[in-house]
Amino acid sequence: MSSTNHLSSAERRSITSYTVGFILSLIFTLIPYYLVVNQVVTGRTLLITILGFAILQLIVQVVFFLHLGRGPKPSWNLYFFIGTIVAILFVVVGSIVIINNLHANVTSSEQTKRLINGEGIYQIGGELTGACKGRYDNHKVTFKDGKIDPLVTVASRCDTISFIEDSGVDVALVFGVHNDHGVYAGLKEIELHKNRTKTITLSQTGTYQFHDNMQPEAIGTFAVYEYK
Amino acid sequence: MVNHEAHEAAANDRTMFGFWLYLMTDLIMFSVLFAAYAVLQNNTVGGESGRDLLSLPLALQSTLLLLTSSFTCGIAMIAARRYDKFQTILWFGITFLLGAIFLSFEMKEFAELIHEGQTLQTNAFTSAFFVLVGTHGLHITSGLLWIAVTLGYIVKRGLNSNMVRKLALISLFWHFLDIVWIFIFTIVYLGAFV
Repeated sequence: MSSTNHLSSAERRSITSYTVGFILSLIFTLIPYYLVVNQVVTGRTLLITILGFAILQLIVQVVFFLHLGRGPKPSWNLYFFIGTIVAILFVVVGSIVIINNLHANVTSSEQTKRLINGEGIYQIGGELTGACKGRYDNHKVTFKDGKIDPLVTVASRCDTISFIEDSGVDVALVFGVHNDHGVYAGLKEIELHKNRTKTITLSQTGTYQFHDNMQPEAIGTFAVYEYK
Repeated sequence: MVNHEAHEAAANDRTMFGFWLYLMTDLIMFSVLFAAYAVLQNNTVGGESGRDLLSLPLALQSTLLLLTSSFTCGIAMIAARRYDKFQTILWFGITFLLGAIFLSFEMKEFAELIHEGQTLQTNAFTSAFFVLVGTHGLHITSGLLWIAVTLGYIVKRGLNSNMVRKLALISLFWHFLDIVWIFIFTIVYLGAFV
């Protein structure tokens, strides 16, 4: 500021306070950014470290920008702030613990379907799940140079279908047509890495379309009928 | 005269305290959104996660913009308490500009996500993300409106003690939004890449 020499000492102290706060908060932003981008540490340690920096940052801003607790009178602002922090800890920690617990014990129907098919669990408590017991015929579908061969596969329920990648590029197989994706037996996407094969069990009847999300021009179809 | 000043200081304190209470309730609202985000962030139902969708450099730019605007807001407040009309308008103007750039970055990010088919309805992760970040964005928008309207008044009617009190509330609000953003930056953006 050009008029620094006209400032009172209190104002100069304020400016120093804001500047120190600003520099500290820049440092506390750049360090965690650097740690995350370069993955200096990983996993839980990294998470705790960056949360630590966020809390340091919070303290810096509260002290240097909000000037909380700097005043002659009993600082009600400060007391309410502390009370709020305590309430927030209850809300946030409580929610995370409770909902994670629920999440671990209750799975969505789509996830359950995927699990049942993946593990071949054909009955639960005597009730048939629709998943297949044993293996039947196998059908092969090849992805090559953006083409799908054969375009149409007809199968019985409980047959398997193998998707084969044969041109050395990764394929993201999705069900439905492009921009209108669907789900097959709880599966939304199959990541088919180059020159690899993935096999799924056709546990759900009906006619389904699929395509490579990277090259959506070619659309394959398989029709699954009830096994006789 | 002394009595009058003491009376005004007490009124100022009361106003600040009232506004502070509002900020604390707002903070609790944000904490609930944070809790929802923390719980739902991995529920993408096989879709793309934050790691695939979010950009760290963009988040850093936004953070630096908002930090700087918080600093210029503080400097503006010092000028306002000195009743320096020109400096007040200048520094609050810079604050407004930085905030507006921040908001434009956020709107660009949202538009790109929606263009990629990631909307509020896509999955639990996108719902939690858009609601948390969007609520902060709405606060920034109202802060910008507040600054614009107050500066308009100051240009027209001059800088009096009443205006300084309003500016003090704005600066409190602005610092508060900066603090909330720091946690969005850490938990949503940095957290996605842990």
